Amino acid sequence: MAQLSLSAVRKAYDKHVVIPGADLEIADGEFVVFVGPSGCGKSTLLRMIAGLEEITGGDVRIDGQRINELGPADRGIAMVFQSYALYPHKDVYGNMAFALKHAGVDKAVIEERVSKAAAILGLEPLLKRRPKQLSGGQRQRVAIGRAIVRDPKIFLFDEPLSNLDAALRVQMRVEILRLHQRLKSTMIYVTHDQVEAMTLADRIVVLHGGRIEQVGTPMELYHHPANLFVAGFIGSPKMNILAGTVEAASADNATVRLAAGASISVPVGASPAPGAKVSFGVRPEHLAIADAASASITGTAQVVERLGGETLVHVELADGATLVVKTDGECLARVGDIVGVTAQGAHCHLFDEAGLCLPKAEKHVLAV
Amino acid sequence: MSAPETSTPSAARVQPSIARARTGRIATSTAIHTVLFGYTIIALFPVVLVLLNSFKTKRAIFGDPLGLPFGKTFSAIGYLDVLHKGDFATYFTNSFVVTVVALFLIVLLGAAAAHALAEYRFPGNGFLGVYLIIGIMVPIRLGTVAILQMMVQLHLVNTLTALILVYTAQGLPVAVFILTEFMRTLSRDIKDSARIDGLSEYRIFFEVVLPLIRPVLATVAVFSMIPIWNDLWFPLILAPGEGTRTVTLGVQQFIGQYTVNWNAVLAALTLAIVPVLVLYAFFSRQLIRGITSGAVKG
Repeated sequence: MAQLSLSAVRKAYDKHVVIPGADLEIADGEFVVFVGPSGCGKSTLLRMIAGLEEITGGDVRIDGQRINELGPADRGIAMVFQSYALYPHKDVYGNMAFALKHAGVDKAVIEERVSKAAAILGLEPLLKRRPKQLSGGQRQRVAIGRAIVRDPKIFLFDEPLSNLDAALRVQMRVEILRLHQRLKSTMIYVTHDQVEAMTLADRIVVLHGGRIEQVGTPMELYHHPANLFVAGFIGSPKMNILAGTVEAASADNATVRLAAGASISVPVGASPAPGAKVSFGVRPEHLAIADAASASITGTAQVVERLGGETLVHVELADGATLVVKTDGECLARVGDIVGVTAQGAHCHLFDEAGLCLPKAEKHVLAV
Repeated sequence: MSAPETSTPSAARVQPSIARARTGRIATSTAIHTVLFGYTIIALFPVVLVLLNSFKTKRAIFGDPLGLPFGKTFSAIGYLDVLHKGDFATYFTNSFVVTVVALFLIVLLGAAAAHALAEYRFPGNGFLGVYLIIGIMVPIRLGTVAILQMMVQLHLVNTLTALILVYTAQGLPVAVFILTEFMRTLSRDIKDSARIDGLSEYRIFFEVVLPLIRPVLATVAVFSMIPIWNDLWFPLILAPGEGTRTVTLGVQQFIGQYTVNWNAVLAALTLAIVPVLVLYAFFSRQLIRGITSGAVKG
């Protein structure tokens, strides 16, 4: 149970700057997910919080206490690694008890805590097994158990599910979520998988090139991305981005003419002057296939991906840009067809030339 | 109707090719085993010859070197000589102490150096690695004169310590080389995990890293053991005194300028094999356990 704060945390190897300066407040009991493409510095940031990586500058505080110089064991954290990192020469019980034994905790207390953690994770029948006799999911459960036993203030997870197969990943994701509801501890979770980020997080921290691009609830990031990077990173398939020019603007609306010809009105607050160049963004799920004769946007279906319940249609527009449209499974469009596309203006986004999102006129109901 | 017709001929075509592959495999495996068997005979031949002739009379050794010790040709005179002339119990103890202590130091210091090179980033890491390993290319015997002078000044001549120090130095480069390469393959997460569990860097080395590389330690020990046990050069130069002689040096007293007591030489050599075999059996059990534990990993 703890509150964590990062202020101007920097990381540099000699002259090579990895993280130029991160500020972040994590509340007690919050589940925060660091997400970003590989090499964005999310693991480095986590390892700095853990004390495994030296902090070049700035302060890390847990419950107000500066912990920059404390060793990993004294910070009251526990960490679960992608590779499980179990001690292969110790059995499950030995693995879970190891930290406590070193801390000189009483044997009876160790036994009680280990059996409690084992009960939470369903590991009781496996306590005498060696890690090599366990499946991937069981090993990761042991690694989580090892963290629980230490009763840490903050749990750190470094891509814990990346080594598991798809089905197991979904199952373990639910287990971690349940664990959080049960323990109510502060948890920080690093992943490159945006589905994990969306499903697990109270708040998501999107990192890119060592910088924090945006911090917000999953729905906030989805409906109100701060910039082009977050817009493209959150959501699958990716948001479509088209070039456009502002045609007319009012206090709560802007009409944009796309390079392909169509014009669409988007409800943005402070809109730029007419004639300004903008990027127009719309998610595939907010587009629909329509009759080519009446729709404002038309193009050729280049690829049709049928997933059963839904269909992804890749439409090439007149100017060569491609739109991905997510529509229902009954869509009859075939490759080569001329199709029309309609967009729900309310769900569209405009980005200025610097790539920053123009604020919407109203907040989405879910984005609180 | 057409399905079985097409499948039968293709099945018939597949069958002989499988059979051919099987005979091919048997032929390859026979060839490999023939070569290995031949090598085993060549390797064991001198050992068996020493063993057989150590139980024969001198006349039989020269008259019929390949014959079995039997009836008139049998004689244990060599062993009696070894037991009565010269203090072989001391020689064996010396050899054993020197070998075991040197091996212990090689493995411990080599692993510690390798761990530091593989785990920590510090200025001069690469240079230090090359410096420690370059000893592989420079035979330690080139430095004999300097080593002798040093040992004289340290008053270590005619002590086992001198031998242990020299053999440790001799074994370290290869040990550091092999162990560093292996340490680099150890997962970083497991050490980080130990750090979070509150272990000091020393305890990480002793309680996490060493158990993980036990099979490699055994390999290094086996590689380093034989040259130390068999060495004649350094015992002759640094510790030729009666109390510090090793087995290889002790045997030399039976080899005179004009006559050689072959019975005693062969008997002593036979006895000298035993401790090495025991050590080897000990290490190779570690070795095999390590290999199989890796193989079962899911």
